[in-house]
Amino acid sequence: MLGSRPGELPASDQEALHAHLAGCDACQARLADSVALGAALSAALQAEAARVDFAPFVDQVMARVERPAGVRGLLGWLRRHRLVAATSALAPTLAALGLIVYLSRGGSEPAPMAGDVEVTAVGRATVVLSDEEGPVVLIGDPSDSGGS
Amino acid sequence: MMEDDDLSLVRHAKAGEAAAFRTLVVRHQRKVYAVALGIVKDRDLAWDVSQEAFVRAHQHLPDFQGDSSFSTWLLRIATHVAIDSVRRERTAQKDDLDEVRETDLEGGGEGILATRLGTNPHENALRKELMGKIQEALGQLPEKHRTILVLREVEGLSYEELASRLGIHKGTVMSRLFHARKKMQALLAEYAGLPAPGDGAAAEEEGGAP
Repeated sequence: MLGSRPGELPASDQEALHAHLAGCDACQARLADSVALGAALSAALQAEAARVDFAPFVDQVMARVERPAGVRGLLGWLRRHRLVAATSALAPTLAALGLIVYLSRGGSEPAPMAGDVEVTAVGRATVVLSDEEGPVVLIGDPSDSGGS
Repeated sequence: MMEDDDLSLVRHAKAGEAAAFRTLVVRHQRKVYAVALGIVKDRDLAWDVSQEAFVRAHQHLPDFQGDSSFSTWLLRIATHVAIDSVRRERTAQKDDLDEVRETDLEGGGEGILATRLGTNPHENALRKELMGKIQEALGQLPEKHRTILVLREVEGLSYEELASRLGIHKGTVMSRLFHARKKMQALLAEYAGLPAPGDGAAAEEEGGAP
């Protein structure tokens, strides 16, 4: 009950507390500690907040609230599903692997290149397919691979 | 009066005036950040949490009826975002250790903390060393103790408001506050000039060297 504010305790408890405090030096000291700690904690956090440069804060908030709802929803979904975002970084490689599978399972069409394709990944967004006719460079859009 | 002014800005923001909401953000950003920082401990995360709180506030502006002040409503959102954020991190890291040992909570030295910290926080508590010690101590508490202390001391919530905000009984509020303060005091004891907490116990375990 130490550290309660006026009106927070039932009147009977409040009176009992006052009566006890009047005769107990240790509890008076504990109360003083509690008050000092509360004031110092509040001052510490507010001082920390006062040191932060908030110049970009409001623009960042406004940019988010002024986005169309659909974009906001998509970005929020991506933030909540970081695995998907991480997977998107691998999109060019996955696309190349998909192409290999497609070539190797080419169905009724003959697939003369299938056995001779060489795949080289260059960075995250560029894949080079080399076949007997020469290299084919698949260039991904880096902006698609950043996730968020 | 700021609260009346806030309500007027909210009305304009509800009507779609971006400038009004912008003013509300600037007006409340530091308070929201201070509360968020106290709960999440990390500066970058506190920044993100604060931003998310404003974005959610904007989304839910139509629901704000003015039953409380805008500040109270906004900080309620920020508290929930911050607690969710800490719990997600905790689930990911599987830790939210209570770094205060029971041996550190033994009594003694009452009043020394008050003497050391002083009674005027703006005069004494603004020293960098103290700021660092307090944040360091706060960071060692488990989330539930950090949160209740921050909401009580920074936001100034009453027992009833804390019970409502945190979804716990008023008796639990008082008990949790008591333990949170006790741990903070134990952690700050060394700074306040008391013997280093737990030193005696450690010595006994190691063979009782004086």
